[in-house]
Amino acid sequence: MIVATVIALLLVPPLVLRGRTLLSYYGAVSALALFAWLLARRIEIEPYLGCVALAVLALVTLSIFIANGEQVRWSANRAALVAAAVYALAIPAMLRTPIDGDEPFYLLQTASIVGDFDLDLSNQYAQRTAAQWKREDITEAQIGDPRGDAGEQYSRHEPFLALLMAPGYALFGLHGALATIALFGVLLVRSTIRWMEDEGVSEAAARGVFPLFAFAPPVLFYATRIWPEVPAAFFFVEALRGVGEHRPRRWLPALFGLVMLKLRFVLVACGVGFSPRGPAKARPTWIAIPILLVPLAVLWFLTGDASSVHTWRELIPTNPMRYLTGLGGILADGMSGIAFQAPFYLFALFALVRWKRTPRGFRAGMLASLLYLFYLVPRGEWFGGWAPPLRYIVFLMPVLALGIAAVWDELSKPAIAATAAWSTGLVIHGLAHPWRLFHEFTGENAIGEWLSAMYESDFSRLFPSFIRLNEAAWWALLGIAIFVFAIRKLEIPAIALAIALGFVMGRRPADVVQFEDTHVRHESGRIYPDPYTLMRATYRQGWVLDAGHEISFLAREGTYTLDFITGLGATFELAGRAYSVAPDARYQTVQVTIPRSGRVTLRCLTGGINLDRMERR
Amino acid sequence: MEHLRWIAAAALSAYASYLAVHHATPIDAALPLLALAVTFLAWLSYPALMLGVPMLIVAEIALAEETTRLIAIGAVMATATAVSLSARARGERAEAHPTFVALIAVVILRWIPFADVLWGREILLLILTAAIVIVLGRTPFAVAVGVITALVTPAIPMRTLWVPLAVLIVAAAARAVGMPALRLTWPSAVLVGFVMLFFAWSGIVARAFPYFLRKPVTVKERWTIAHALPARESRTYEVPHNAKALILSGANVAHLRRGAVLGRIEPGGITVRIDDAADWGYLRRDAWHHAHNPLPRVSVGTIREYGYSAWVDGAGRVPLPRGARTIRVTADAKLPEGASLQVEGFELE
Repeated sequence: MIVATVIALLLVPPLVLRGRTLLSYYGAVSALALFAWLLARRIEIEPYLGCVALAVLALVTLSIFIANGEQVRWSANRAALVAAAVYALAIPAMLRTPIDGDEPFYLLQTASIVGDFDLDLSNQYAQRTAAQWKREDITEAQIGDPRGDAGEQYSRHEPFLALLMAPGYALFGLHGALATIALFGVLLVRSTIRWMEDEGVSEAAARGVFPLFAFAPPVLFYATRIWPEVPAAFFFVEALRGVGEHRPRRWLPALFGLVMLKLRFVLVACGVGFSPRGPAKARPTWIAIPILLVPLAVLWFLTGDASSVHTWRELIPTNPMRYLTGLGGILADGMSGIAFQAPFYLFALFALVRWKRTPRGFRAGMLASLLYLFYLVPRGEWFGGWAPPLRYIVFLMPVLALGIAAVWDELSKPAIAATAAWSTGLVIHGLAHPWRLFHEFTGENAIGEWLSAMYESDFSRLFPSFIRLNEAAWWALLGIAIFVFAIRKLEIPAIALAIALGFVMGRRPADVVQFEDTHVRHESGRIYPDPYTLMRATYRQGWVLDAGHEISFLAREGTYTLDFITGLGATFELAGRAYSVAPDARYQTVQVTIPRSGRVTLRCLTGGINLDRMERR
Repeated sequence: MEHLRWIAAAALSAYASYLAVHHATPIDAALPLLALAVTFLAWLSYPALMLGVPMLIVAEIALAEETTRLIAIGAVMATATAVSLSARARGERAEAHPTFVALIAVVILRWIPFADVLWGREILLLILTAAIVIVLGRTPFAVAVGVITALVTPAIPMRTLWVPLAVLIVAAAARAVGMPALRLTWPSAVLVGFVMLFFAWSGIVARAFPYFLRKPVTVKERWTIAHALPARESRTYEVPHNAKALILSGANVAHLRRGAVLGRIEPGGITVRIDDAADWGYLRRDAWHHAHNPLPRVSVGTIREYGYSAWVDGAGRVPLPRGARTIRVTADAKLPEGASLQVEGFELE
C-alpha cells in the first residue's frame, strides 16, 4: 500500500498539473515528507495512522494546487482519473475491517446471482458464504426479510445493486464488487464536473469544489464501500443532466437505474418528473406512473412482495416535531449531521438563500428531492441507521456541490479552509479507523466520547444530538443560522472561541447526567439495551446496577430528579445518602440531593436498578 | 473597516486561546501570543491561515502527552510561518510582509518564556533582524538569514550581538558589490519551518543544532551513581547484570574541543573523549558563548526548560566492555583544575 501510494503521488499529479505548478507541488510534498519524517522520530504515533495521515495530507496538497494552481490541466475526465486513483487506494484501507451494515447482504445477493442465478439466499446462509468476507456471524436473514411461497429466503434489499456488482464480483470477488462501486464513484465525479460545465460554473469554482466533493465525506466513504448511494447519486446527476438537456436517452435509463436501486428513490424520480425542467410533453403522469410501477413490478416478480419491508402507511404525514428534529438532525447532529460529518455542504445553505442566482440544475435537483426529504426527515432512522454518516442524502451531494460551486466566489476563504481542515480530519479518521464510520445511536459522537473519556467530564452534552435530543441541538441550529447570515468575516475566531468556551464548560459538571455515557466511570454494572440491539435509538437507554455495583460521575450541588426502572426494587446510595425504591413495571422518578459539587458515587446496595438519567431541578 | 476586522480577529483569537490554556508549560501559557502571531501571519498573507488558531486550541485540549502536544503546536506555527513566507504578499503590505514575518518568527523563537526576556537586547536584535531582511532584499531567503542569525545569537553576554551585526555588514557589503536579491523560496521556507517546528525547544535548536535531526534515544532505566572524578581520580564499580552502557558527562570542561580526553574505562582500554560526553551544562544559554564542546555522539541528556531557555545536558552514552563484571573509571590526568569526569550511572536494558 505504501509503495502504491508513493507511485500514485508521483504519477497522478502530472495528469492535472504542469510546468511550475507541478514542480511546486513536488516541492511541497517533499517538504511535507521531510517534516513527517522529523515528526515520526520525535512523537509516538501508530504507524498506520501516520501513513494514512501523510497520504491524506499529500492529497490535500494536490487538491490545493488543483484549486489554486496557475498551470492546471483541467477537464472532467482528468478529474475522474484522479478520483479513480484515490478510490483505488482507499478501498484497501476500508477493507481493514470486515464489511458491515447492509454491505454483506448486498454481497450475498451478488454471490447468489453469480453462483445460483437466483435471489434465494437460503443456501448462502446455510453455507456461511459471508465467512469469506470475515463475516462468519451472518448465518441467517435479517429480521423481517421477505420469504417466498416455497420457503425461499430473500433479502429486503433491492437486487439491482447486486446485479450491477455481479460482473465485478464474478471476476474478483469482494474486490471486484468494491471496484464496481468505485467505478460509479468515478463516473459520478466525471458527471458532476460535466454538469457544472453545462450549468455555466466557472472552471476555478469547479476546481475548488472538486476535491471537497470527491475526496471528502460522504462521497469518498460511500464510493469505497458497498452501498447503493453513490450509484444512485450518479444516476440522479445523469437524470438531471438529461432532463435539463431534454435528452430522453440520458434521463430515462438514469431514472430507471435510480428507482431500481432503492424503492425510496421513487420519490426522487417523481420529483424529477414534476420538476420545472422536466420535459413538458412527458410530465408528470407519463413519467411518474411507469417510474413507480417498474420497481414495484420487478420486486413483486422477484420476491412476491412489491413493497419489500415498506408499508403504505409510511406515506401518511406524521407529528410536525419529528420533521423538525429530523431536519435539524440532518443539518447539525453531532453523530450524523452535515455540520459535523460533511461540513463542506453547509455552504449549500448560502446557495439556497441565493436561490434565484443559482443554476437551474441546482434548483431542479433540490425541488426534485423535496418529496423524498419530506418523507425522510420524520422517520426514526433519518440518520441512516447502522451506516456511515449521511447515508440517506448521499445522492443529493452532487446537487449541493453544484449549488456551492455557483456561489463559490462569494464564500469566505477562511470558512472554506475551516471546512476543508475538518473534512481532512474526517477522512484521516475514517480511512485509518473505518469501523468508526459506524456509530451506535447513543446520542454521543466520537469526539464527545474521546474528550469525555480523557477528562472524565461530560463533553458529549456540548455536541448537538437530535437522536437523544439535547440543549446543544438547538444552539447548533442557531449557530448555523449565525454562520450563514451574520459573521461571515469572523468565522474562524468565532470557531476558536466556541471551541475554547466549550472546553471550559465541558470540564464543569452537567445539569443532566445520562448514566450510560462515556464520562461516567462505570466501575461495574452493564449497559441497557445491549450494544447493537435493533432500533436501539428507540429505547430509553441506561445503565443497570445490581447489588454491590457502583458508578461515579461529576455532578453539581443541588436537587435532581432521577429517572429509573426497577423490577426488583432497590436500595441505592448516592453521594452518601441512601434511597429505597419500590418495584414497578414502569419508569419512575425519585428526587435526590447532591450536597457538594464534584465526583459522586452511586452504589446499588440491594436489589437491582436500571438508571436512565438524572436532571438538576 | 478591514483593519478593525483583523484587530477584532486578533483579540478574539487571543482570548479564545487564553481560555483554552490547560497545561502548565511556558509554551502552553504562551498560547495567546501564538494565536496573535498566527493572526498577523494570516493578515500578512493568506486569511485562511487563521485556521491555525483553532488548531492551536485543539492541540492544547486534545493532546495530553507533552512532547506530542508541543510538537503539534510547533507544526501549526511552522506551517503558518512557512506558508506565509512562501506567499507573495498583496497590495499595500507587499513591502513590509517579509520583514514582519521575520520579526514574528524571532519573537516566537526567542520570547518564550517571557520571564527570561532581556528586553533591551531583544529589541536591538529585532532591529538588526529587520535590517538584515531589508538589506538582503525582503525575500524569503532574507527572512531565513535574519531568523537563523537571531536564533543563534545568545545575547548573553551582550557582546554576542556582534553575530547579527557581522551578518548585517557582510550582507550590506555583498549587496553593495552587486549580489542579487536571492529568493530561494522553498529552501528558505523549509529552513524556517524546521526551526519553528521545534520552537518549544528553540534554545536546543539554536545551540545543539543536530539534536532534532537525530533519532531520539529511548530513555531507559538508569542505575544512578552520581560521582564526580577530578583529574587522576579512579573508582571501581560493580556492573549491574542488565547494564549495557555507562552514562558520563563532564564538569567545567565546556572549553575543551572535540577529541579532548576526559578519562578511561578498564577493562577494554576505552578512552572517553569530548564527543562521547560533553560538559553537563554547556548548552545553557549563558554558558554557550564560551563553550567549544560538540553535542555528544549519542546524547542521552535530559531536555530541560522550554523555549529559548531550553537546553539538554551533556550526558553521553558509552558502551560497556562486553562481559565486564566490574569496571574502573579513571579521570584523565590532564583535566584542568576544577574539572571532573562525572559518572552519572549505568543504563539498564
